[in-house]
Amino acid sequence: MKGKLLYLLAALLIIVPIVFSGCTSDDNDDDGDDGTVTTPQVFRVNLAGEPNTIDPNKASWATERSVIMLLFVGLLDFNSDLSLKAACAQEIPTVANGGISADGLTYTFKVKSNVTWSDGSKVTAHDFEYSIKRMLDPDTAAEYASFYFDIVGAAAFNAAASADAATKTALRNAVGVTAVDDTSLRITLAQTRPTFLSIMALWPTSPVKESVITAKGNLWTEAGNLIGNGPYTLKEWVHQDHMTFTLNTNYWDTKPTLTEIKYLMILDATQELSAYKNGELDMARVPVGTETATLADPVYGKQVVRNNDLTTFAFQFNVNKAPFDNLLVREAMSCAIDRVAFVEQVRGGVGTPAYSWIPPGMPGYDADLGKDFAFNVTKAKQLLADAGYPNGVGMPELKFQYADTASNRTIAQFLQAQLKTNLNLDLTLEPMEPAAFSAFVNSEQHTWAWFGWGADYPDPDNWLPDLFGTGGGNNHTGYSNPAFDTLARQAMMELDNTLRLQMWAQAQEIVMADMPIVTMFYRERFYVVQSYVKGLEPTGMDGGIMGDTSLVNVSIVK
Amino acid sequence: MGKYILRRILWLGLVLLAVSFITFSLMHLVPGGPWDREKELAPQIVENLNIKYGLDKPFYEQYINYVWNALHGDLGVSYKYQDRSVTEIIGTGLPITATLGVIAFILALVIGIPLGMAAALKQNSVIDYVAVVFSTVFASIPGFVLGILLVIIFSVWLHWLPTSGWGDWRQIIMPAFSLAALPAAYTARITRASMLEVVRQDYIRTARAKGLSERIILSRHTLRNALIPVVTVAGPELAFLIAGSFIIENIFSIPGVGRLFVQGVFARDYGLIMGTILFYAFAVAIINLIVDIMYGWIDPRIRYD
Repeated sequence: MKGKLLYLLAALLIIVPIVFSGCTSDDNDDDGDDGTVTTPQVFRVNLAGEPNTIDPNKASWATERSVIMLLFVGLLDFNSDLSLKAACAQEIPTVANGGISADGLTYTFKVKSNVTWSDGSKVTAHDFEYSIKRMLDPDTAAEYASFYFDIVGAAAFNAAASADAATKTALRNAVGVTAVDDTSLRITLAQTRPTFLSIMALWPTSPVKESVITAKGNLWTEAGNLIGNGPYTLKEWVHQDHMTFTLNTNYWDTKPTLTEIKYLMILDATQELSAYKNGELDMARVPVGTETATLADPVYGKQVVRNNDLTTFAFQFNVNKAPFDNLLVREAMSCAIDRVAFVEQVRGGVGTPAYSWIPPGMPGYDADLGKDFAFNVTKAKQLLADAGYPNGVGMPELKFQYADTASNRTIAQFLQAQLKTNLNLDLTLEPMEPAAFSAFVNSEQHTWAWFGWGADYPDPDNWLPDLFGTGGGNNHTGYSNPAFDTLARQAMMELDNTLRLQMWAQAQEIVMADMPIVTMFYRERFYVVQSYVKGLEPTGMDGGIMGDTSLVNVSIVK
Repeated sequence: MGKYILRRILWLGLVLLAVSFITFSLMHLVPGGPWDREKELAPQIVENLNIKYGLDKPFYEQYINYVWNALHGDLGVSYKYQDRSVTEIIGTGLPITATLGVIAFILALVIGIPLGMAAALKQNSVIDYVAVVFSTVFASIPGFVLGILLVIIFSVWLHWLPTSGWGDWRQIIMPAFSLAALPAAYTARITRASMLEVVRQDYIRTARAKGLSERIILSRHTLRNALIPVVTVAGPELAFLIAGSFIIENIFSIPGVGRLFVQGVFARDYGLIMGTILFYAFAVAIINLIVDIMYGWIDPRIRYD
């Protein structure tokens, strides 16, 4: 009996591998001798989760942008150096070419005559008008609608959720977006906004096709229903599992090389890397904390691709709560934290220590700003004494709140250790469930919290007024400085670009001097990419996937 | 019996109502709502979203609306996946979770029962020790650790199986094993203990004295009686497996209901939370009912009226 069982076991051990190996490894065989031409142009990457929506008007998250960039093309777009380029528009409107009126209030976009939908029909200025007004419609409840409130009548229309149908129609018609004819779209602003063209290059104003939306309702974004004007079409969307994109045969611009792009939806970062190592992905994120090991790996170390992101992380104080209402205490904290050690030890050497708010690679970055309050224990102790807490004596309990994730935990523990070692201060850590944490910070109940900010578009006006202006939508520090407010109000509307950037530089200096935040590091993406993937161009403003802003330039060369 | 089932189903209605009310209240009491983001939305946008999803109405009105719609088969829309209805989302996840759960359940029984039986019949033999070691080890390794170990061995090292996803039978193997390990170990222990007790019973001795063959004693007398406690634990086990393991579904990126529930909770997607909770409550209640009915079939002493 026992003997038989052992035989059975032995037999199983032999059979199982044969059976399984028979079904795998069928995709690596045909990499010919030098058959670069016949290589299937299929690119497989991980989207790290199901997009909430792929309706350009409604979308707001990075993963959603990764999908929208394949399916839709707006009037304007960004080059890989983040400068503007004309996409569906014939040219970038300027005062010189008559696209912008002398007073800076009226913009006229000329739509290229060859732009088509994926069903072959023409994309006209009317499609853009429909899309922008649908995005501003309160019934759409689009999350990015507030970015377009400079347009005449936009805010009023968006605020009319409870109004009757006739009022809504009147308000919709009053919005300053008009298709003058099939090729010209006129947009009127209520006040000048020098960055309006950058905002028009974002996904919410991509054209959407009215007839499809009317016919299919909310299901218009499903595979089979969706009609876009981008380089790819949505072939398949198995919800929560994967999306497959194939070339749009009616694409009106230069067709990309990749014939198929597959987005998997692997949630766990470790699993993503495992899938890459198993040949299921052509590119993968390296989980935080394992970067050093990956670099040291003889195989994967050579496949590492890194890119700096326009994203800054910082500790934000609540400047209305003791002891952080005292500037000297805030300055002492800044001097007590070793950013270099932080990036090296906590972030595995990934990212750049940050001393000021606006990240490198963006207009307004100031390399020298904030260095006065870099790591300096002697200065930190002196500042703490000046604040009335020599050696920390008499300091009220310090608390730090953060969304309880594995990587945030290491950040919080680092901060705790720094304060203990350098200033002999005890820090109480208060981890919170992520959504509860957001609600807590957004209602300014926190004392000191971790946060990050990524660029919607590369300009200081996306980085300063909303966060540091009095009552700004994302001002959670309670910070308020009339000098900053005045300057920001002017800079928001200033048409002279040189002057405008000077104003923002000055505004950032005011913020850094008042120190409502301690900037910690600028984010860097860290991926492994197969060597046969060519032409990947990461930018500082990619969405959910590194390089997703210009996947049209990628090819597979085996 | 018919009356008994009818009574249980009526109770089920009340249970679901209670579950829905408790969940609905808890959801609204927990700090953080569906529109709370680290990057805060403009107040106007939040207001539009609240109006669109009826969150501007008083609590009781929201609840009554929800129940009324649910009774008409409409579980509302997801707040996270704004273009899809909760019924449709759960509808796509359910068959996947159920398939995985049933496969894991069968695996647990197919591994657990024979192992427990073999161990009991050959007590203190090598098989017994193997069974005990097996059940101790797999009862103590958490499913996600086992899952990650399997991935490292079978995907990263050996390249035999895909790491994650759904759609191909090869993608089921590792999650099914990770999910089945604990219930298999548990089933093996229960079967072993129960068998050991039954083989010492008087009626087994009587059967042997009657001159029945060992095969008949085992199949007709020992096994049938020994399986009663196994069925008792199998019911909740099945419910547990079909409810879908959040962790296993997350690790293996399986688009099932368990993963949806977790996403729903993190996003404060009230529609999705309610839908999945009600589904769980319903599934557990129905499975318990089936287990109770099976008792009557296995053990003639148990009667319902």
